[in-house]
Amino acid sequence: MDAITLESVTKTYRVGVGRARVREMLPPPFDRVVRWAAPGWWARDTFNALDAVSLSIPDGSSIGIVGHNGAGKTTMLKVIAGVTSSTSGHVKVHGRVAALIDVVVGLHPDLTGRENIYLLGAMHGLGRKSMRERIDRVVEFAEIDDLIDTPLKRCSAGMITRIGFGAITALDADVLLVDEVLSVGDAAFQRKCATWLEDYRDGGGTLLFVSHNLGLVRSMTNRAIWLDHGKVVSDGDTNSVLMEYGRAMERRQAPEEVHAKGQVRKLMRARGMNRWGMGGARVEEVHVGEILDGLALDVRIAFEASEVDRAVFCVGFIDESGTEIGAAASPEVDVRNTTGEVTCRIRPLPLRSGIYFPVVAILSDDGMVRDRWQLDRALVVDRNGDGVLPDGFGPIDLPAAWITEGGAEVGA
Amino acid sequence: MIAQTWRSRPLVLSFVRRQYQLRYRQSLAGFFWAIVPPIASLLVATLVFHEVIGVQTGDPNVPYPLFVLAGLVPWSFFTSSVTAGVGSVASSQTMVTRLAFPRAIIPLSVVGTGLIDLGITVLVFIGFLIVTTTGVPITVLWTPVLLAIEIVFVTGVVLFGSALNVFARDIRLAIPLIMQLWLFLTPVMYPLSSVPDNLLPFFLANPMTGLIESFREVIIAGNAPDITVLMPAIIGAVLAFALGTWYFGVTESRFADVI
Repeated sequence: MDAITLESVTKTYRVGVGRARVREMLPPPFDRVVRWAAPGWWARDTFNALDAVSLSIPDGSSIGIVGHNGAGKTTMLKVIAGVTSSTSGHVKVHGRVAALIDVVVGLHPDLTGRENIYLLGAMHGLGRKSMRERIDRVVEFAEIDDLIDTPLKRCSAGMITRIGFGAITALDADVLLVDEVLSVGDAAFQRKCATWLEDYRDGGGTLLFVSHNLGLVRSMTNRAIWLDHGKVVSDGDTNSVLMEYGRAMERRQAPEEVHAKGQVRKLMRARGMNRWGMGGARVEEVHVGEILDGLALDVRIAFEASEVDRAVFCVGFIDESGTEIGAAASPEVDVRNTTGEVTCRIRPLPLRSGIYFPVVAILSDDGMVRDRWQLDRALVVDRNGDGVLPDGFGPIDLPAAWITEGGAEVGA
Repeated sequence: MIAQTWRSRPLVLSFVRRQYQLRYRQSLAGFFWAIVPPIASLLVATLVFHEVIGVQTGDPNVPYPLFVLAGLVPWSFFTSSVTAGVGSVASSQTMVTRLAFPRAIIPLSVVGTGLIDLGITVLVFIGFLIVTTTGVPITVLWTPVLLAIEIVFVTGVVLFGSALNVFARDIRLAIPLIMQLWLFLTPVMYPLSSVPDNLLPFFLANPMTGLIESFREVIIAGNAPDITVLMPAIIGAVLAFALGTWYFGVTESRFADVI
């Protein structure tokens, strides 16, 4: 039995805001008439968030959805949840669906947590009576006894997150759609939510899980779907889809990376999620080489320095869960008013098979971060060349020899 | 859409409950606000239209305050439901973009909330009747019928307006003006008998005219409603309801994308 079936589902959105959207407000059959009479005008400013997606998801499976921002992941969840309808194609869902599309779940700020949970229950077909018993579970799960009767607007963002996730746990959904929710809240509560999701999955629930945290996707799901520009690029067992996705990210050149060199050479401050620093020295271009013999990696950094005399260069890595796992720092280099290049050769590369994200940074000798850039590309380490990633123990490869009882070194 | 909404009627009740909880939260006077607007309108209308301008009720036995109140009770239900209902879907953005539920519940619950207020004002009105007049005529039994027609009309207008407002917020902006002009064009503050004959057909085409005239007929005069006066209201209610449910039904699936 399939919990979810999508048959060539297309979802077209109109971009841009502004004037009253005449095309949208036309009821059928007038919309079809206009579409027929002025197809060019009708199709202007549209894009397909989902483009003829067909899928079937069996009951009780847990599926991870990965892809870049704007790939159509959230749209897919919304179409399955019935929040919005597809432009064409068919969507079939069996059982009670609960969707956690960002943590607020549609909670109302003026209502208390308890009233919100009742309302959410009513929206999922659960009456006050059956919610009354469940509400204690929510309070216990979210650890919020004293705040359950406070209007949400007076609760902290962390508390609202807890109530939102807690409310979802009370719905006893057959199909659960979760969009990037485990990236908020404190670490302990995140862990609790992840554990709950694992129990839900093991209890036979169907789980669709969207996340940029590939580590979490790997631990929560056994099948993954990679979406790009509204199309399914790859669909299969999580390990191989993630590997494929990582390889694609490895090839990808961020626009910023390509154009950086031609840009106005102004050493300004950078503030952003992936790039920040106080300026004065700047990474112009980064070239991450191939891993040679599975052992050595060259990272070439082109830089420009204007206000920094002596600098320390860093090349570090972030793992698939977003954790910084280690870096190589250069000795102080004289960079006075120069543009130049420096290459970091990491040998041996102490990483186990997996997907990593390189970070480069320039620090001045007083320890200030001048430019820190997390590249928008991945580095895939595949030690055995078979695409199999290890389960557990993390990313660090410890240099070791293994000796058997007889005193011989294994594999030597 | 109707069937789907009917199946979720417990949800309408939850929404009405929620709206009532919210309405008087953080207000000091609370419930008092349900009866203040009609009473304030009554006092001002009596002062301005009766005392200053000298409007008469057309029947020397009917005091002007009673006459005005009989019109204000159905009118305030209409105007408050439409004003609040038209913007209701667009202002429930968080819910509409994150949860799947029959969207019609949002405007319907506004009408439901208006009904509670209507009930309160009707109680006040009955109290007023008992105090000021010698007896309440048996024809008041017609009021549920008239109210039913008005509810159908209001529901249709609110469904249509709230759906259209999702696409073009002009509706929400225009409503206060429309309601003000509509009040002037409806014999709430003045009797229909003072309307010149050449304008009468235009006034009678207004569904609210038929409703308010009929309310006065059954509550004050003690006559059964005049079917020729009431007919435009019945036709208007049916048309508005048909238009509202149809338009809301065919466009509600787009709300989450446009809102």
